[in-house]
Amino acid sequence: MDPFKNRQWVVILIIISVGIIFSFRLFYIQVINKDWSDRASQITSKTENIQPPRGFIYDRNNQLLVGAETIYDIYIHPSIIKPKDSSAICKLFNLTNEDFQEIIKNASSGYNVPYKPSVFIESMTQQEHAKISPYLGQINAVFAKSKIDRGYPSQIAAHLLGYIRRIDENQFQNTKAQGDFFYTKNDFIGITGLEKQYELLLRGERGNINYLKDYAGNKIETINKKPPKPGKSLYTTLDIELQKLGEKLMANKIGSIVAIEPSSGEVLAMVSAPSYDPSSLTGRDFSDNFNGLKQNDSLKPLINRPVYNDKYRPGSIFKLVQALIALDDGVISTETGFSCNKNIIGCHNHEKPNNLTKAIKHSCNPYFFQVYKRLILKDNTKSVFQTSREGLAIWVQKIKSFGFGNLLGIDLPEEKSGFIPDVDFYDKWYGKKRWAFSTIYSNSIGEGEIGVSPIQMANLASIIANRGYYYTPHIIKRIADQNVLKKFKIKHSTCVDKKHFEVVVKAMNEVVNKGTGRNARIDSIEVCGKTGTVENKTFNDHSVFISFAPMNNPQIAIAVYVEYGTWGSKWAAPIASLMMESFIKGSLSKKSIEKANKISQAVILNPNTNFK
Amino acid sequence: MKYRNLSIWRNIDKPLLIMYLLLSAIGYFIMYSSTFKGINIQTEFWSANYGKQLIWIIITLFAGLFILLLDGSFIKNTAYFTYGFILLLLILVLLTPPIKGARSWFYFTTFSIQPSEFIKLTLSLSLAKLLSDVGSRFQEFRTKLKAFFLIIIPALLIAVQPDPGTMLVFACFIFVLYREGLSGNFLLIGLFTVLIAVVGIFLKASNSIFHLAGNVISGNIFFVLILILGFIFSFLIIRYFVLPRYRKQKIQRLIIITLLGLSISGGINYVYDSVFSERHRTRFQIMFGIKEDRKGAGYNIYQALSAVGSGEGFGKGYLKGTLSNDKYKHVPEQNTDFIFCVLAEEWGFLGSFIFISLYLSTLIRMILIAERQRSKFTRIYGYCISGILFFHFMINIAMVIGLAPVIGIPLPFFSKGGSAILSFGLMVFILLRLDSERKVVLR
Repeated sequence: MDPFKNRQWVVILIIISVGIIFSFRLFYIQVINKDWSDRASQITSKTENIQPPRGFIYDRNNQLLVGAETIYDIYIHPSIIKPKDSSAICKLFNLTNEDFQEIIKNASSGYNVPYKPSVFIESMTQQEHAKISPYLGQINAVFAKSKIDRGYPSQIAAHLLGYIRRIDENQFQNTKAQGDFFYTKNDFIGITGLEKQYELLLRGERGNINYLKDYAGNKIETINKKPPKPGKSLYTTLDIELQKLGEKLMANKIGSIVAIEPSSGEVLAMVSAPSYDPSSLTGRDFSDNFNGLKQNDSLKPLINRPVYNDKYRPGSIFKLVQALIALDDGVISTETGFSCNKNIIGCHNHEKPNNLTKAIKHSCNPYFFQVYKRLILKDNTKSVFQTSREGLAIWVQKIKSFGFGNLLGIDLPEEKSGFIPDVDFYDKWYGKKRWAFSTIYSNSIGEGEIGVSPIQMANLASIIANRGYYYTPHIIKRIADQNVLKKFKIKHSTCVDKKHFEVVVKAMNEVVNKGTGRNARIDSIEVCGKTGTVENKTFNDHSVFISFAPMNNPQIAIAVYVEYGTWGSKWAAPIASLMMESFIKGSLSKKSIEKANKISQAVILNPNTNFK
Repeated sequence: MKYRNLSIWRNIDKPLLIMYLLLSAIGYFIMYSSTFKGINIQTEFWSANYGKQLIWIIITLFAGLFILLLDGSFIKNTAYFTYGFILLLLILVLLTPPIKGARSWFYFTTFSIQPSEFIKLTLSLSLAKLLSDVGSRFQEFRTKLKAFFLIIIPALLIAVQPDPGTMLVFACFIFVLYREGLSGNFLLIGLFTVLIAVVGIFLKASNSIFHLAGNVISGNIFFVLILILGFIFSFLIIRYFVLPRYRKQKIQRLIIITLLGLSISGGINYVYDSVFSERHRTRFQIMFGIKEDRKGAGYNIYQALSAVGSGEGFGKGYLKGTLSNDKYKHVPEQNTDFIFCVLAEEWGFLGSFIFISLYLSTLIRMILIAERQRSKFTRIYGYCISGILFFHFMINIAMVIGLAPVIGIPLPFFSKGGSAILSFGLMVFILLRLDSERKVVLR
């Protein structure tokens, strides 16, 4: 007999024990412990956001201001590059061998892995892509993927539209902290202008897709998908043609144009000069161009001057407000006359200002010195300091009803309030009871500490055109199918009664027809305007002009500010005139076109500016 | 001729035949799923992996049929010849250019042959012939030496390729030799060695340190101390509790075992530091759960365990796996070494348990068949192939479920690969043929 026959049971026992051990182990990892199952779903499934297309922006006639442009990212897939491909890739993209090795290295290290494609050229324009696309098909390892960027068909209104940029770490954390979890680190966000103001509407709603992926991350099977909601389109109040003309006229100059429709407060044009092409702040060249505009340009082209620059002194246009307040206060009548005494305050030679109309027509400085004196020093029984305090306090209140010294509330994030010096300000500056009318009289002609933004100047023109009220200037007329926001339909009245406006309107008409603003005349249209020349100690004075037309049914109110423009009627008045003509008549006459071209070519810059 | 055929059919072991066919069929369907790219992808059936696999299965069945027609004595008599022939191929294969770092395959245009798959079969036959020859007695040292060389030569040739997985399978012959009378001590020593090695490697891999009487000592020195303490303790037990006449023998054994333990421990120390590369060390660290390296060396096992675990109780359903089939490829080598993942993922614990039961029943059935032979040759051969299949199964599954470090070794009847399908099929058919003659002859 076989003495070792029983040993079969040892072997069988070993086999069975291995089976038992394996079964327990499998029971543990498959049934008891769910960790591996969770890990499996982490490995296989992926949720990806789907970017909603950003809303478009149109002008008042539904012409596209901001649309979409298809751009291309070029991807490289290192693990499938064949030896013959590398020279073809180098040739196609103009690379040296070292560049190519560098690209492969980048595409295989860090976040990138060689078995997944990664971007190596970002945001190629359509033209660039068209040149290479026929050859791309021959190289498997390189391909293009299209995406949508902002596109600017007419390349205007850069400041007002604003720009978008990839969200930075700070903003990313801020939005998160505010409970807004919309953004990923790759998303773009509005930084300035309308893009910032209406970011929440423009960005739309993100969709997502949940899918099963393979080892390389390729999408294999969709589990569920929520399509994105595109951003809402904005319909602005801008008029493309007017905006274009304004930008043309302001070429080679520093300053602003703001045109408003007085009956609604809609902004028809808003020009900030110098300007830039909005499409330069898109795509791959963003950072180069941005740095060029931000750091290497002393003229600060990124600033939206019409709303942001509130340090402008208004100059003589402020006399209109003084006149209106004085009339309403009863300290003067339309027939009040003063002598043009140049000893008190400088003036130019003109006929005797024996009534208000003449004073406005010739912009007489001593006259308005007297007007302001009557406004401030009302009560002769008290000390001059005390009376000045009381007078100024009332005056400030009234001035503010014209929209000065406060934010108007235009729908642009950059708006600044301007500044009207008040009692507190002078108390701080000089000390209590250390100042009186004689200290602050330069306010009378819009100089001194007063700071006004161009939008506020245009709003003043609008107020006078409306004879006493204004609607908050705004840029958005319609959001998708929802009409203008409620707050833009509220009528704001000034403290001055309607009846006092007529004389000022007449005077403004005189200014254009016979006075300082003759450069603003338009054939067959009655224009009202007021020039301003703002003192500038370093170089030429600044040129200011506010205006509206036609006199009796105003369609447009406008403010033009040309820095270093010498005096009001030299540059600002003709620019305003051309803008109004174009808007009211729909086109410019032949003579005006010539004039516009001439203005457009004129270079008005401060030679003292430090050009880098 | 007709009578003979009938007699084969009557005497063939139907349970084993059915088990084999069942395993092959399940194996094929699992392999199909592992190679499945989704119904949308149109591939020529016969040029796809599952098409080729089916061709190999058909070839195997025909070859099996042919074997059933052969005479058992013919198989026995040609054993040395086939062994020599495959050994020659094993030498020749070392002259071919390496594929994926190993010289294991002869490449032809449409298929490739792996001689190391066939050496297991021919070695089994030769070993059976050697040990069953009249006149050779296993108790003789000469026979043991011959058997040793028969096994060690192909093992070394395979080590040169290198193919450590297949080489490891040769250890299964220790079961065969055990059954034929090799001292059980060898099994125990084997177990002892494995234990010491596992503890030793664990202590090295984890860089364990112990505090002893204020001194910080490294884990393996602590282990040596434990071994010596164990020796002293056992020595004292023998000294006081064993009858004097047995003492000498027991103490001899104790000394041998202790020295063995110490030398294995030292050997592990040396191999771990000097022979292993960082890659191997990392593998062990991952296996012991000391290190997690999802993206690097631990990638395979992490993905495999995720696939197995995600099968849960009842699986995701046939062709519905999301990790281990070719559509997703999260598990690498999913149609060869890691094919069990596909089964575990798509059929869950239930399927896995049935699979293990069926597989091991087949192996036990082979043992039982071997034991009922009057022919020593058939018995030894039966043990050989049961052992070979068992080792393949054990190492492969242990690797996939994270009980052993990653060692490349196919799962018989399941993994993609014509040579393996053919050679494992032939093993079974030869056993069936030899078994069917159990009543006819006495060899």
